[in-house]
Amino acid sequence: MSAPPGAAGAGGAAGAAARLLAWLEERLGISVLLELGREKRVPRHRHTLWYYLGGMTLFLFGLQVGTGILLLLYYRPSAGEAFESVQFLMTKVPFGWLVRSLHSWSANLLIFVLVLHMFSVFFLRAYRRPRELTWLTGIFLLFLMMAFGFSGYLLPWNTLAFFATQVGTEVAGALPVVGHFALRMLRGGEQVTGGTLTRFYGFHVAVLPALTTVLLLVHLVLVQKHGMSVPPGVEERQRRGAEPPRTMPFVPNFLLRDLIGWCAALGVLAALAAFLPWELGSKADPFAPAPAGIRPEWYFCWMFQTLKILPGHILGVEGEILGILGIGVAGLLWLLVPFLDRAVAPARRRHPAFAIVVWAAIAYMLVMTLWVYLPAGG
Amino acid sequence: MSARRSVVTLFATGILLSMGGLRPAGALLAAEPPRPAQGPRPLETSCVTCHAQLDGELLEPTRHTGDDIHFLKGLSCHDCHGGNPAAGGDGDPTAAHDPAKGWMKPTRAQIPGFCAKCHADAAFMKRFDPRARVDQLSEYRTSVHGKKNAAGDERAAVCVDCHGVHGIRAISDPRSKVYPTNVADTCAHCHADASLMGRYFIPTDQFAEYKRSVHHHALDEEGDTSAPTCNDCHGSHGAVPPGVENVASVCGSCHGREATLFRETEAKKKLDLSACIQCTVCHGNHAVLEPTDAMLGVGPQSTCTGCHSEGEPGYKAAAQMAEDVRRLTGKLAEANGLLDRADRAGVEVNPDRFALQKARDQLVEAKVLAHSFDLERFNVAANEGIASADAGIAAGRRAFAELRYRRFGLSLALVLIAAVIVALAFKVRQIERPAAE
Repeated sequence: MSAPPGAAGAGGAAGAAARLLAWLEERLGISVLLELGREKRVPRHRHTLWYYLGGMTLFLFGLQVGTGILLLLYYRPSAGEAFESVQFLMTKVPFGWLVRSLHSWSANLLIFVLVLHMFSVFFLRAYRRPRELTWLTGIFLLFLMMAFGFSGYLLPWNTLAFFATQVGTEVAGALPVVGHFALRMLRGGEQVTGGTLTRFYGFHVAVLPALTTVLLLVHLVLVQKHGMSVPPGVEERQRRGAEPPRTMPFVPNFLLRDLIGWCAALGVLAALAAFLPWELGSKADPFAPAPAGIRPEWYFCWMFQTLKILPGHILGVEGEILGILGIGVAGLLWLLVPFLDRAVAPARRRHPAFAIVVWAAIAYMLVMTLWVYLPAGG
Repeated sequence: MSARRSVVTLFATGILLSMGGLRPAGALLAAEPPRPAQGPRPLETSCVTCHAQLDGELLEPTRHTGDDIHFLKGLSCHDCHGGNPAAGGDGDPTAAHDPAKGWMKPTRAQIPGFCAKCHADAAFMKRFDPRARVDQLSEYRTSVHGKKNAAGDERAAVCVDCHGVHGIRAISDPRSKVYPTNVADTCAHCHADASLMGRYFIPTDQFAEYKRSVHHHALDEEGDTSAPTCNDCHGSHGAVPPGVENVASVCGSCHGREATLFRETEAKKKLDLSACIQCTVCHGNHAVLEPTDAMLGVGPQSTCTGCHSEGEPGYKAAAQMAEDVRRLTGKLAEANGLLDRADRAGVEVNPDRFALQKARDQLVEAKVLAHSFDLERFNVAANEGIASADAGIAAGRRAFAELRYRRFGLSLALVLIAAVIVALAFKVRQIERPAAE
């Protein structure tokens, strides 16, 4: 008796797939990865929702890479052609407006989600031993994303970006000792020119992606190695038997939930791109006076406003230098949070002042940011 | 504004002159200009030290030693008035006011020559400014003011009436009486004085009229110092009312294109033979108001119907021009409105805006060509403008079509995304149901 044709076909396809897997296994040893996916489990408790932010950030970064590559097909990194190439992309290239809007909006959403992810890690104390390096790589990734934002902002070579870059690089120039070198290194000279644009382009599409790739891989490997951190409060309840330790498989349960979030993010981005397409503005004119209302991207605003409101001199030191040093010290302290937490409160509970200081810092950043966006601010 | 600059140059000269002597104008012109390197320097003279202790008009000159351009350039009282600046320290002014040493106080008839003692001397003036004009006196002698002064009219304006006596400032100084924004007030000081002008049968409404004009608005309210004031049309030192023949030239010195077009018209020839004064027929003279579209055509505010009656070719041409301007303006507004709305909705329309600039240019060009009174030439510009505006309207409509397309695409994408989310949620429920953790 011969087998039905369909069964033979299905059997044939399954056989081909199995042979392909065997072929790959022999050469790559992919069973290790498949096994890892099958075995990886994610803790399940009332704070599980915060775990999705990391995946969401990764998804948005992937979107950045994808849309960025598409933009590269048309973008020309010179003062004479940058603006026109973006304008051409937005007006003549099919769906060019969508690609640019998705790139710009998802860049902002990426920073927003990344900041949420960072604070969720802080408040759930997920940086606890042995995850200090995961925290460090994460913070460095945030810095890199901000550098992506700063360098990418100039690339359309429009008026607002030109003057915002001028102000931003002046801040770097105010650094003690290395300021002038930093300014020249960023601008490629004393002024913001076409040379700066080419340089920022290089940072944006080569230097920063290379650094990000390395750091991101380390970050993901560390997350994989140590697994998801269970918040101390949950751990305590589980230890006391007040809450059973629950987990779910990463594949497919957690991954499917991740996908739901990614789809929702894609929907939000599509709506933003359709209703609020990212503006191009007017072409930068280095000889024109700076327009009113120059401000950097929203995630730099709190620093921008801080430097703006500082008096010219504080205790004989230039206010701006003091401000930059203050922000630098705050950044360093934030980087060292896992070690400071252990030093301040070696016991299970974190010192209450720790959270108070961070909440105060968050409130300060929000107020400063809103100040810039208020009509009389900026 | 070289004419204006010359006013100031004369003004600078004036302070020297205003301290002048008693010799007749001709003698003054022939006299040697002062040599500022001689004697005590500006503030150390007996003139300053003695007059500083006096009252009233004798004290007044010493109050300007810090702001008068002549003092600032190193000149002093005796450089204009002569006399002996070293004498008089004993309280007796006789030696200081020694006519034998050239001391003088000029009469109004003498003042122009008194100032020209230096300001008509090219070699002397070049010590202070290599570009200084030295023709102010000869210009002045051609003016109505100068002619009356020469005829012995004491009321005719002389240098000091415009530039001041002491305390003369550089023309570039906004406090100068002949700085562009102050010229009209300076002229009005006499020309708005009914009792003074009444003697010459000159009307006194020019200043009030000028203040209503677009020129005054630009100069005084917008601070555009290139906008014309009295001396830009009438001249500075050679001030005269523009003749009927040369009004178009006067206006054309700024409005060149309109003047060139107008000069070629038959209308100009006819106007030249009439009592009408060219440009002023439609635009007025001192009260040159902002031109409006209503001035063109056959409506109630039209200036064309003043000369052209219904049925005449000129009347028809005016009506046609007005209609074309109205159409072009309307289409331009429609295109702008559409592109603005599309821009606010997020469609990139900058290239279309740029293209629309041609319609704006052609509108301006058509209004300028109205001065040619040539309907055919006017139509070329107007029709090109209308075509560009139509293209702008089409671009605006395309932008809205694009917007609708985007929103339809978004709706479709959102439906698909929602469907995927629902499917994923069902799948999660399905795989987790048997687990019953």
